[in-house]
Amino acid sequence: MVSPGFTLNKTKTNRALKIVPKRGTIVPTMSTLPDSDNLSRTLFGKTRRAVLSLLYSHVDEAFYLRQIVRAAGVGLGAVQRELKQLSDAGIIQRMVRGHQVYYQANPRCPVFEELKILVIKAVGVGAALQAALAPLSDRIHVAFVYGSIARSGERLDSDVDVLVVGKVTFGEIVSSLREAQRTIGREINPTVYPPTEFRSKLAAGHHFLNSVLREPMLFLIGDKRELERLAKKPLAH
Amino acid sequence: MSLKDWLKNRWLIEHQTSRQEIADLLSVADRDLAQCQTPHLSPDWQLNIAYNAALQAATAALAAAGYRAAKEAHHYQVIQSLAYTIRADEGLIAQLDKFRKKRNIGSYERAGAISEQEVKEMVRLAKDLMGKVTVWLKKNHPELL
Repeated sequence: MVSPGFTLNKTKTNRALKIVPKRGTIVPTMSTLPDSDNLSRTLFGKTRRAVLSLLYSHVDEAFYLRQIVRAAGVGLGAVQRELKQLSDAGIIQRMVRGHQVYYQANPRCPVFEELKILVIKAVGVGAALQAALAPLSDRIHVAFVYGSIARSGERLDSDVDVLVVGKVTFGEIVSSLREAQRTIGREINPTVYPPTEFRSKLAAGHHFLNSVLREPMLFLIGDKRELERLAKKPLAH
Repeated sequence: MSLKDWLKNRWLIEHQTSRQEIADLLSVADRDLAQCQTPHLSPDWQLNIAYNAALQAATAALAAAGYRAAKEAHHYQVIQSLAYTIRADEGLIAQLDKFRKKRNIGSYERAGAISEQEVKEMVRLAKDLMGKVTVWLKKNHPELL
């Protein structure tokens, strides 16, 4: 079967089939979402991104080679080369326990904190959540992570707290985040507010919403301006 | 996996139920379904009551199947057992389990992290589950009704 949008060309010189995309096919783009996939791929390249994503989104854990290869989904050789380069540069640490070699994010690396934030935003939790919510993005005004992850004090057992304001149900959000929860290996706790309820609760001085809006937020959909527009008031930071 | 495997893992305990027990569980579920809609209750409390209705319905199904959940992670096991008792779909179980989590958060960590819309969804879910459990009981354990 040939997928629609593609034509097959057979040439005499090359016995293999070449797939040539048809010109003029419309590729939908998510204009409201920054393409974090492209961003991180351009910054790091496939293997480095995969290794950093695993190690820097679980900084308290050490992983052995086989786990990293499985998570990265690339060849063993490529992962080994990457691990050597990253260990030599002090970005990750290589540890030997018994007969096993483990790798872990290196807290003594001068850009450890910065890398952690970058990974959360561009490759790790943030990117996974953004991808999971993308199919509902036209009905979501604002979605952001708050709590310990947004404060970047990520711990091994941190849950991911997400606030969503939009015309979506809790059920829809839970089912769209189910896969992301497995991918990132953390519990995701969403709270979903329709825009009108969000606005009225905020105006009535709702404690939870007011305190969340004073904390650091990691935006997945929308931004601070959109949030202020929804709240009909400027926010503290 | 099956409920028998769960028994081996000590997540469940064998349990002999009765018509009286099933009737009691279903009547608590009915009562809570009605009371969660009492006006002027806070969303946290309404969610708690509606969640309890769903939990009682799930407990009734598990009891009819011959089990009760062990003490540890009790609510979690009762919710997950719906996959084997009434064959609930993954979506319903995931949603109910998130409400369980939300209920914990609402009580201990982040008071107020529950919207009115979420309460309505929890009530709808509890009603839906109650209906499904009743249909399942009629079909599979008519002697208990």
